[in-house]
Amino acid sequence: MSRILTVIALYLATQTAGANDPVSFARDIRPLLNAKCTGCHGGVKQAGGVSFVYEDQVINFAGDSGNPVVKPGDAEASELFVRVTLPADDSDRMPPADEHPEGLTEHEIQLVKRWINEGAKWSGHWSFEKPTRPDIPVLSEASAPKTGIDAFVLSRLEKDNLSPSPPAKGGRFLRRLSLDLTGLPPTLEELDAFETAYRSDPDAAVAEAVDDLLSRPTFGEKWATMWLDLVRYADSRGLGQDGKRTIWPYRDWVVDAFNEDMPFDQFTIRQIAGDLLPNATISDLIATAAHRNTQTNNEGGTDDEEFRTEAVIDRVNTTWQTWGSITYGCVQCHDHPYEAFRHHEYYEFLAFFNNTADSDLNNDAPLLHVPNNRADYSKARDLDRKIKKLHDEIWKTGNEAAAAAEWKPLPLTHAASSNHTKLEKKEGNGQTLFYTVGTVQRGPDYDLHSEFPADAAPLTGLRLTVLPKDSGKALKDSEWGFEISDLSAATVDLSSPEGKEKPIEFALSIADVPHLPHDPLSVIEPSGKGFEAWSRIHHARSIVLIPKEPLAVAGQRLKIRISNKGYLLGAFPLVVQKGYFETSSDPSLTTFAKSEDQRKKRADLKTKIASRKAIPATAIPVMAERPSSIARPTHVFARGNFLEKDKAVSAGVPASLPPIDSPGPTRLDMAKWWVSEEHPLTSRVFVNRIWEQLFGTGLVATLEDFGSSGEKPSHPALLDYLAVRFRDDHGWSMKKIVRDIVVSSTYRQQAHASEELTARDPNNRLLARGPRGRLSGETLRDQALAISGLLSEKTGGAPVHPPIPDGVWKPFQSGDKWETPGTGKEDRYRRSLYTYIKRSIPYPTFATFDAPSREFCNPRRLVSNTPLQALTMLNDEAFAEAAAGLARRMKYKTEGTISEKVATGYRIATAREPDQARLDELVGLFDKLEAQYRSKPELHKGMAGTADGAAFTIVAQVILNLDEVLTK
Amino acid sequence: MSPETILAELQRSQLEADTRRQFLKTCATGLGGFFLGDQLASAAAGTPNHSPGNPLSLSATHHNPKVKRVIYLHMIGAPSQLELFDYKPELERLDGKPCPQEFLEGKRFAFIQGTPNMMGPQAKFSQHGNSGAWISERLPHLASHADDLCFIKTMQTDQFNHGPAQLMVHTGHAQMGYPSTGSWVTWGMGTENRDLPGFMVLLSGGRLPRVGKALWSSGFLPSVYQGVQCRSTGDPVLNVSNPAGSSREIRRTALDALNRMNQKTHEEFGDPETLTRIAQYEMAFRMQTAVPEVMSIKDEPQHIHEMYGTEPGKESFANNCLLARRLAEQGVRYIQLFDWGWDSHGASKGEALNAGFLDKCKQVDRPISALLTDLKQRGMLEDTLVVWSGEFGRTPMRENRGGQEMALKGRDHNPGAFTLWMAGAGVKPGFTHGETDPIGYSAALNPVPLNDFHATLLHLLGFDHKHLAVPFQGLQQKLTGVNPARVVEGVLA
Repeated sequence: MSRILTVIALYLATQTAGANDPVSFARDIRPLLNAKCTGCHGGVKQAGGVSFVYEDQVINFAGDSGNPVVKPGDAEASELFVRVTLPADDSDRMPPADEHPEGLTEHEIQLVKRWINEGAKWSGHWSFEKPTRPDIPVLSEASAPKTGIDAFVLSRLEKDNLSPSPPAKGGRFLRRLSLDLTGLPPTLEELDAFETAYRSDPDAAVAEAVDDLLSRPTFGEKWATMWLDLVRYADSRGLGQDGKRTIWPYRDWVVDAFNEDMPFDQFTIRQIAGDLLPNATISDLIATAAHRNTQTNNEGGTDDEEFRTEAVIDRVNTTWQTWGSITYGCVQCHDHPYEAFRHHEYYEFLAFFNNTADSDLNNDAPLLHVPNNRADYSKARDLDRKIKKLHDEIWKTGNEAAAAAEWKPLPLTHAASSNHTKLEKKEGNGQTLFYTVGTVQRGPDYDLHSEFPADAAPLTGLRLTVLPKDSGKALKDSEWGFEISDLSAATVDLSSPEGKEKPIEFALSIADVPHLPHDPLSVIEPSGKGFEAWSRIHHARSIVLIPKEPLAVAGQRLKIRISNKGYLLGAFPLVVQKGYFETSSDPSLTTFAKSEDQRKKRADLKTKIASRKAIPATAIPVMAERPSSIARPTHVFARGNFLEKDKAVSAGVPASLPPIDSPGPTRLDMAKWWVSEEHPLTSRVFVNRIWEQLFGTGLVATLEDFGSSGEKPSHPALLDYLAVRFRDDHGWSMKKIVRDIVVSSTYRQQAHASEELTARDPNNRLLARGPRGRLSGETLRDQALAISGLLSEKTGGAPVHPPIPDGVWKPFQSGDKWETPGTGKEDRYRRSLYTYIKRSIPYPTFATFDAPSREFCNPRRLVSNTPLQALTMLNDEAFAEAAAGLARRMKYKTEGTISEKVATGYRIATAREPDQARLDELVGLFDKLEAQYRSKPELHKGMAGTADGAAFTIVAQVILNLDEVLTK
Repeated sequence: MSPETILAELQRSQLEADTRRQFLKTCATGLGGFFLGDQLASAAAGTPNHSPGNPLSLSATHHNPKVKRVIYLHMIGAPSQLELFDYKPELERLDGKPCPQEFLEGKRFAFIQGTPNMMGPQAKFSQHGNSGAWISERLPHLASHADDLCFIKTMQTDQFNHGPAQLMVHTGHAQMGYPSTGSWVTWGMGTENRDLPGFMVLLSGGRLPRVGKALWSSGFLPSVYQGVQCRSTGDPVLNVSNPAGSSREIRRTALDALNRMNQKTHEEFGDPETLTRIAQYEMAFRMQTAVPEVMSIKDEPQHIHEMYGTEPGKESFANNCLLARRLAEQGVRYIQLFDWGWDSHGASKGEALNAGFLDKCKQVDRPISALLTDLKQRGMLEDTLVVWSGEFGRTPMRENRGGQEMALKGRDHNPGAFTLWMAGAGVKPGFTHGETDPIGYSAALNPVPLNDFHATLLHLLGFDHKHLAVPFQGLQQKLTGVNPARVVEGVLA
């Protein structure tokens, strides 16, 4: 078990400085500082004002002692050197003996001295320096590397006096390659063909097989999983209720992107900011669902703003983890303890994500209606654009008309609420404010009255402005919003107050911002929906209502009713807390409302919306930006607490990485920044992930941490070579870089490890042998289905519900049903990728084999080895069905003797012929079992109809559980 | 191949690995080439050292543990401390009066709106035992154990919604994805019974906890440390029974063939994981008899059934209390029980202090008391710790959902104060730690945040919480999180 720790902690270092080489800060000094100094002089604790994370808090910087911490060129005058060389019993000696009893070694002290005397050159951490193309090592002729990759690996092996292993033999190699590229084992026919081709020309056979496998749709199905782990894809919402979420078109988008070999820069930009691309397509919008895989909390009584903030924070952390392998989450609460990231920089980055329209709503809004038929994509998108344009025009012309009119305050004579919510009014600045007092009850109607003098001009417009309760504070800490479900008004003659009320007919209502969840017109229709700040309010919000005809109000009482029926999560009333009215007598408003242009535009809009609705579609959550007029400001959270807002910040990237050139950068600029030529992390990080998928361990073993507390690369030059090749030579082609690796001799080596090699390099970091490792739960199930001949080739679509053990499926929301298709039905045997993923009830087989439950970005799967895995493989319904399938293949589909049938079963599963000992073992097992079943036929009831069928089933079970089948 | 040879093989490869580590360590000081990461050196102090191939084998703790196993009884939904243990006569006087504004300002509630009224205790309290602990009439059986219980009246959490708050109790974090206490503990010290998992979970039936398996997840620790859910109906552990047609004898025959073939694979490829796999298949085989055996309560004597109120074959909290004793007897390290239905808002009959709550109290009172009696009689309370809690407390105000008085009586969520009790090894019996304010709303004296409780629990189990850590995502991850936590010395015996 200590394996994971060993993997995390045991790393191969590049050689330290020799006696004559100059000391390298990144290689020799920074690791030392991180190990022995930054605990107290780092990003969090900065004892004496000294921080070894930042150059300007070290070089020529006088700490509390008054002496420079480091004076370049003069070790004796540098406090750092002085302190580490004090006598052991001196209380000023660093590091303090109680914290670091081991202190610094003489060698380390000499390194520090030499570094200072050589000029104390400071440099960034290795992964923060842009990768450059390294020279390919020149090797002795005997080594004869086939590819660039091999040259780097062999040169390292030569240094360690190790020799590479011979290539893996035909069929075994094809199995490794097929599982790695497509997640499925080769068929018997493929094995035969490959082995024949391999005998005549191994290199050509490999090249051909690689190209064939890369072009199959199963390639994307296999590689999507590692990406979906990172972007925490699931079919449920997580947290409180963990209800169902429809977002599978995004999963299919990822599969397609791998299959189409979408360049990684495009892949990146579309997922982070596809919605902001000019002429964004439906596909570009689907891509943005990557960051809508965040959890939402629909538990009653939860605060939407809290969980919206959680989601935004998760987007920041996931982005840094996925593209940068940086644990940026630390910076949420304080400066990074050991990387050069400042606390405020976290929130500058957060600002890129802080103005998206989603806000932890139960309906997952904003949604994109993805046409079910891809042929409808462009038509749908075209309609969406036209609808948006019409919306914008209607909104713009309306607001221009409202702005051009003259408005004056409306004094109120009466303000009352229909329930426990207390409503009061007061005069100020020439207008009457109405507002609630104390806490509010949900669902009140407000009645607001005003009286017009006898000489009042006819009324042509009514404007309501809704304010947060505390406008100054709400900008930082938004308040619960409001939802005006209906707004109506009537007049009564003042001279006969008991007289009949005359309802006012409104022609139009114009909201202050475009693209609200509901058409603002609904506020004047008895629709129960209307005008809202949903679910939070930062800014003043307003809506203008225009009566059909100028309204004679002279000597009349105007009675306005605001209906506040909205509430959220069973608890939070969405009611207007404060506001005022204004009126206008400007005839231009009536003219505007009656204009033919408006009528036509609105009619046109209605038709287009109807045509869009007629296209059959699946609604999924996507990213969308809020209008800039109501943009959310971003503040630093003191100590990471969202309720304690500190200074305001604007969007930006950390100073320790290359800057973004454009002023006022957007989310799109940030997306492009990750894949810019100057960015030191992205290409390294992604090739490292690919390497880990193929070899089981990354060149940087800590996939989750490229920072200074992560491991150093085992082959730094190889990592840079691959990174530059991926980005520059291959133009970010994922397939090309995968191809480079799998055709290398390094990858093609056999996996056998001699005792000596296991002892010298237990985790195969030096790559003197081929990769070997346990398959994932998903691949194990897919492989079993393929071996048994049951696997469906159907791709994409809504998630499926394969067999699940009784009693596992007990969702918190009982409406979420698990209905398994019957035996023989295709959806029972789909690839594991398509299994419904519910975060609170992970599919048992996958969870048992270490699949993450996808709440958060999961950069690396740990590989465990447990008894529950054995129980799954031996007893789970799906694997029992697979054993029966393989048994049938041996019994009915294979010609020959028992021995030949069993040998074929073995080859189907392992891709090689059994040796005699193994064959004897399997045949012996078959004979023994067959005799047992024959003598007691009741034994095989429920499994097989015949004794030999039962014996084949158990033999198949043994084959499916072989270590060489569970591993690649 | 016989298990002995496998064991010998494993021990040999461990020896080799150790030598290798020693070699690398020596190299680090000067030879160059390889060196051990500093993380390993620093983690080494706290890192468990299991024997190879058996990640559940015993491993030394940081200091001698007083507690060898834990039985944690979680009442999902958060039972009201004000009706059970935290007696507040002052609240009785305020009953029906509007809540003073100062109690409401700056507070966030799940459901309370406007100005709610205060509500006095909805049960009669009296003092019990020599310790004079106040326990209400709702728990008459438990009251007889007053002198065994160690109360913390001032538990605090920073979460006021169920899902995150339950995660806080069991993983020390409000988000999913972190290892649960049971995982940390079995990772840290292994388990005593090689035929059973070290961390087992029992649910009373009814609704599952809303965050589900995340409450017994192993997070970023290997999945061998995750809680194994035992079930009263169907297979007691998922896939523990053989499929039709495969008897135990046939399985043995098949496993023997499988092991021999895997042994060959090991000889061929030299991968130590293959040997571990053989060992895990053997443990699985043993579990197939051990689990059903320990989970079958029907052979318990009649007086035991009467004491617990158990009915074999049913899903119930009472059955689970008896099972907890049986698992503890078998050396299972961490036994987690979840009961449900304690969310007494008053919004429905099942969840009202004057209705469903009364039934819930009856359902758990006798079994908990029986468990304590049973453990004591068997001398197991000497080294077993029983813990009882919810995930937060409830408000001294009566809930007024939608701003109106509701027909039934209930209280809203209150993260500011709740009661937890422990009984058994390592803690002071008949003792109360901490005091809430006169209305039981917040901690007045000796508040105990959850991470202090976690530090204390780990301390009792032999761990320094600062050093039971694993590097993950750039942090030394701990059950107690990044903020400082301290052991609650006051409750230690």
